[in-house]
Amino acid sequence: MRRTVEMLAVMARCFASRDPWFMLLACFALFTQMVCAVSGAHADVKLPAGETVQKVDFERHIVGVFGRMGCNSGSCHGSFQGKGGFRLSLFGYDPAKDYLALTREAEGRRLNRTDPDNSLLLLKATGRVPHEGQTRFGRDSWAYHLLRNWIADGAHWQPGSGTIVKIAITPPEYAFAKPGQTGQLHVKAVFADGTTETITSLCDFRTNDETVVEVTPLGKLRAVRPGDTAIIVSYRGHVVPVRVLVPLEAKPNFRYPEGPQVHFIDREVFAKLRRLGIVPSDLSSDTEFLRRVTIDTIGTLPSPQEVRAFLADTSSDKRTRKIDELLAHPMHAALWATKFCDITGNNTDALEGQGQRKALLSQMWHDWFRKRLAANVPYDEIVRGVLCATSREGLSPEEYVQQVKQIETVNCGFNETYAHRSTLDLFWRRQQQVPIEQWGEKTAAAFLGVRLECAQCHKHPFDRWTQTDYRAYANVFSRVSFGISPESQKLFRAENEERRKKKGDKKTVPLNPLREVFLTKASRILPDPDTNKPLPARALGGPIIPLDDGKDPRQTLFEWMRAPDNPFFARSFVNRVWGHYFGTGIVHPVDDFSLANPPSNDRLLEALAKDFIANKYNIRDLERKILLSRTYQLTAVPNETNRLDRTNYSHSYIRPLMAEVMVDVLNAALGATEKFGPEMPDGSRAIEVGASRVQNGSVNYAFRIFGRPPRTTTCDCQRAMEPALPQKLYLMADPSILQKMQAPQGRIARLLATERDDNKVLDELFLASVSRLPTAKERAWFASYRAQARDRRTAFVDTLWALINTHEFVFNH
Amino acid sequence: MPRSYVSDCEGFHRRDFLKIGAGGLFGLTLPQLLRLEAQATPEDKRKRRANAVIMLWLGGGPSHQDMWDLKPDAPEGIRSLFKPIPTKVSGVQISEHLPKTAQVADKISIIRSLYHTIPSHGPASVFMTTGNKPTPALDYPSMGSLTAKLVKTEKGIPPYVSFGDLRGDRGGVAGYLGTAYNPFIVEGGGKGGFRVRGIQLPGGFTLAELEKRDRLFRGFDETFRSLDKSADLVEGLDTFHQQALEILRSDKTKKAFDLEREPAALRERYGSTPFGQGVLAARRLVESGVRFVTISLGGWDTHAQNFDRLSKRLLPSLDQTLSALVEDLHARGLLDSTLVYCAGEFGRTPKINKTAGRDHWARSMAVVLAGGGIQRGYVHGSTDAQGMAPATEPCTPDDVCATIFHCLGIDPHTELTTSTGRPIQLFREGRVIEKLLA
Repeated sequence: MRRTVEMLAVMARCFASRDPWFMLLACFALFTQMVCAVSGAHADVKLPAGETVQKVDFERHIVGVFGRMGCNSGSCHGSFQGKGGFRLSLFGYDPAKDYLALTREAEGRRLNRTDPDNSLLLLKATGRVPHEGQTRFGRDSWAYHLLRNWIADGAHWQPGSGTIVKIAITPPEYAFAKPGQTGQLHVKAVFADGTTETITSLCDFRTNDETVVEVTPLGKLRAVRPGDTAIIVSYRGHVVPVRVLVPLEAKPNFRYPEGPQVHFIDREVFAKLRRLGIVPSDLSSDTEFLRRVTIDTIGTLPSPQEVRAFLADTSSDKRTRKIDELLAHPMHAALWATKFCDITGNNTDALEGQGQRKALLSQMWHDWFRKRLAANVPYDEIVRGVLCATSREGLSPEEYVQQVKQIETVNCGFNETYAHRSTLDLFWRRQQQVPIEQWGEKTAAAFLGVRLECAQCHKHPFDRWTQTDYRAYANVFSRVSFGISPESQKLFRAENEERRKKKGDKKTVPLNPLREVFLTKASRILPDPDTNKPLPARALGGPIIPLDDGKDPRQTLFEWMRAPDNPFFARSFVNRVWGHYFGTGIVHPVDDFSLANPPSNDRLLEALAKDFIANKYNIRDLERKILLSRTYQLTAVPNETNRLDRTNYSHSYIRPLMAEVMVDVLNAALGATEKFGPEMPDGSRAIEVGASRVQNGSVNYAFRIFGRPPRTTTCDCQRAMEPALPQKLYLMADPSILQKMQAPQGRIARLLATERDDNKVLDELFLASVSRLPTAKERAWFASYRAQARDRRTAFVDTLWALINTHEFVFNH
Repeated sequence: MPRSYVSDCEGFHRRDFLKIGAGGLFGLTLPQLLRLEAQATPEDKRKRRANAVIMLWLGGGPSHQDMWDLKPDAPEGIRSLFKPIPTKVSGVQISEHLPKTAQVADKISIIRSLYHTIPSHGPASVFMTTGNKPTPALDYPSMGSLTAKLVKTEKGIPPYVSFGDLRGDRGGVAGYLGTAYNPFIVEGGGKGGFRVRGIQLPGGFTLAELEKRDRLFRGFDETFRSLDKSADLVEGLDTFHQQALEILRSDKTKKAFDLEREPAALRERYGSTPFGQGVLAARRLVESGVRFVTISLGGWDTHAQNFDRLSKRLLPSLDQTLSALVEDLHARGLLDSTLVYCAGEFGRTPKINKTAGRDHWARSMAVVLAGGGIQRGYVHGSTDAQGMAPATEPCTPDDVCATIFHCLGIDPHTELTTSTGRPIQLFREGRVIEKLLA
């Protein structure tokens, strides 16, 4: 009786939805429910993790089993085309569709209520009839019993029965005592009807690092080696991370050393290391520090003189002074302008105009950021200039035409005409119309560190975002238009009319209408994916953004972003900065904030973000704190306890250079310069180049093989940061490198002309490439080589070749 | 539960896929990644027919109804100015300006029912060369890059070589696979001959000198290496250092460019154009173990003077070289193991425009395939009376790519993972065209 009442309530809800399919399904569900209520009860099903299911529920158990067995994954029936004519919703996000597919398609052969064992579903899954996906489970398996019981019981569906309120995992964090230990995760789901059920067997368990902790399909953990990682538990599209920690087993009589700490960064980093039983490495040497911090801040190597001067300086604050000097260096702003060009997608090919014009626009884009970074404009203000950009910035069309004329006279980089504008309208100006979905994706990745693209077509498999979230967020941008505004249209029409009248002959050149970024009435609003009704614009996981309250909706969005309690805005940027200086983000990849990718040190991330907000988004202050920390200044030489650590900053990690920095560093070592293209003054550095492709083919080649991103998306993943074979071939045998080594103006030619002493030449080559003096062993090694070499010049060319090929040169560390 | 049950359609568990190529996200080291990839290699699942692919790329969009699919009965203004001629295959006719190809028609397949919907050079080229409709969210890898990733190549041999860049440096590239799978680019082609950037020692730098420098390098590298032997990046770069040396030491690729080793008559037979000589070099590259070679012949964007340009330059050049390649591969017994694919990004309008040209047309087009497990003397599908759209056996670029990969022994639905952890099938909507298979 109670069930019938419940069903009536559910049915009423379904009818209230006014979706005819839903209504039909609800009737059907009710009907089967009543018919089958009289058929006998079935034996309970024992699940492998120990749970007992008394009453098999479609949403909770059947959809769960489909997920657990991989049936509804993207490569199987969860694909948009389905597989073999059978389509399930991806990871079971839409039980109504799944129920329909099971009960209504294939002439109802998928389920056989009178003879459950002969249901096509079970025949296929057990491989008794040919199944492209082969045998998924046997006839004696729990999954089989679960499905069979459900079918025999009438294959009911109670819409909403599996709606999840919360997933609770015990324990919520797992700290092992030492490697080799095992443990078990228990997963409980709290459903909308208030009931709680253990669902461990129906979950998918994944470890983010199986070299630290392994996990079985039933949630059993085994600590493998010291370290920490996360186990990602998912149940029907819901994802919950569990942090797991395996400390290093202390040797007898070991006392954890008390190391010095500079400020809160060290406090949080060292506290985590202590929990792991990992001891931080020692402080870096002066040469190690100088090379690292110079590459990280200004993208090049310290000169031999700078290394000598730094070593000779005996004052206690020399590192602090060096950091301040580097952060104020013009190249520091250029380096970060390059990074901001990545973040905002400065893709030259996608800009307006032809050939050289595109490259110039790209350069203006770079210069716009560079000017602000040099002036240390607060981060939130920089973002506002990008996010809320318009072309006219309140100017009249006439004034704007004047501004554009002025900008068009620019034909070389580092011109401030465009940079003086308060907003970066280039971000929104692309040759081809950009659909609003993409503005959503671009801004989410750039300023929130969230990758949304999965949610365009289905619920994000590793995160909370649904298609509704995706579309509602995209709708924030529905009023942004790039084209000819009505006001400007009027101006151009009048002007052209005037011209026609004045001359009256055919030669009159009409004024070309100017496209601009402006706000219009919302033209295309994405509908709700379920109801197809208009969907209000919404900040990501935040409040509704009004589209017509007389305010630029992007401004409202920006205010939401910048609010101190925003979960992404500050965290995502401090994480990017941290990732730059350590080679690994606290959340890594740096723009992948998602449930399945929790931060390695949440407290550290929190502390950095809080400090950044408290200091009004002062970027240089944030960088300074990071660089001054003992954590940043640790040596790259690991100790016995921290050798395997890659995520907790116990020592300085070896990391590849950005492609532009590689080009600059090579030129610095070889004593060479580069011509990038007509838009760049001679002697420019690669980090000063705005365009995503340059005219110099040789540089383009180097950019490509060292992973400079094409910036077709704002995803950080477009910048390749790993060694690859062509890079090694380039350093060994590329004609441009070999030429630079031999060049009459190159480092070797200049050195040999002025310095007679071989030892001093050797010193200079070491200082210029690996930023340190050679060791005694290396001197001896060189001497024996020199003795056999054809001549002095050959010996040194070979030496420089060998040095730029060392791991020490190729990486930062 | 027995392990074999925890697998999906492709024979792997989702988890295994996620690991591949998702090093960052799941904390995999480079060696682990290589190991996993080795385990999950989908190669052995089907029989490989083709060991290599030579793709002749006709950039600009070749006019199919003046080449492979003539409509002599169509009204004036649509009908080609060229006459159809018979070929070695009875009942199959092609353009009178492809007489040499007509003589090898018994060794090739023509697809006449290919179509897509993107009449714009850039995105259409992406669709044709990657087998995936371009989307802004993801850069799909070219077939060459996929081959480099999925088919094993002998040590010291570059897997994927491209003569010049396809459409600047944005075509033919590795997309989400990462820069490591970009093609090695062949430069030159004039009097100085061809060379591949990065895999050959430039003039004046001998192998003996390289070996000497490498010894010196070892002494200097030791200091830093000894600091942290376990660093994955160091290990990775070490591997590449060795591979680079192997490539530079190997003269196989270099020899492939030494066209002087071929008889003069054969060199002439390929055509004394950079394209002809390049295709000969491509054959030699394939013989040396290269898996995928792309070479372009441009100028097919015939908006004006279509017939002049075709009959005077483009068709004679293509006819000469394509027929030479097929003949030569056949004579050497290499046609069965080498797949030749000749295509552009789209076809051209059935209607002839005011300037005697034809414009972009993607709704019907024709391509040629030969060897490597492809039928011989076969015409697949047909277009309607005016060549506007497929009439029978319609197929799309992803179907063709799926068929090519089937011939390479790779399941076209193999799943790879992008750097963001997203699982992607090679050609999600591509279906192998069974009738094309020998």
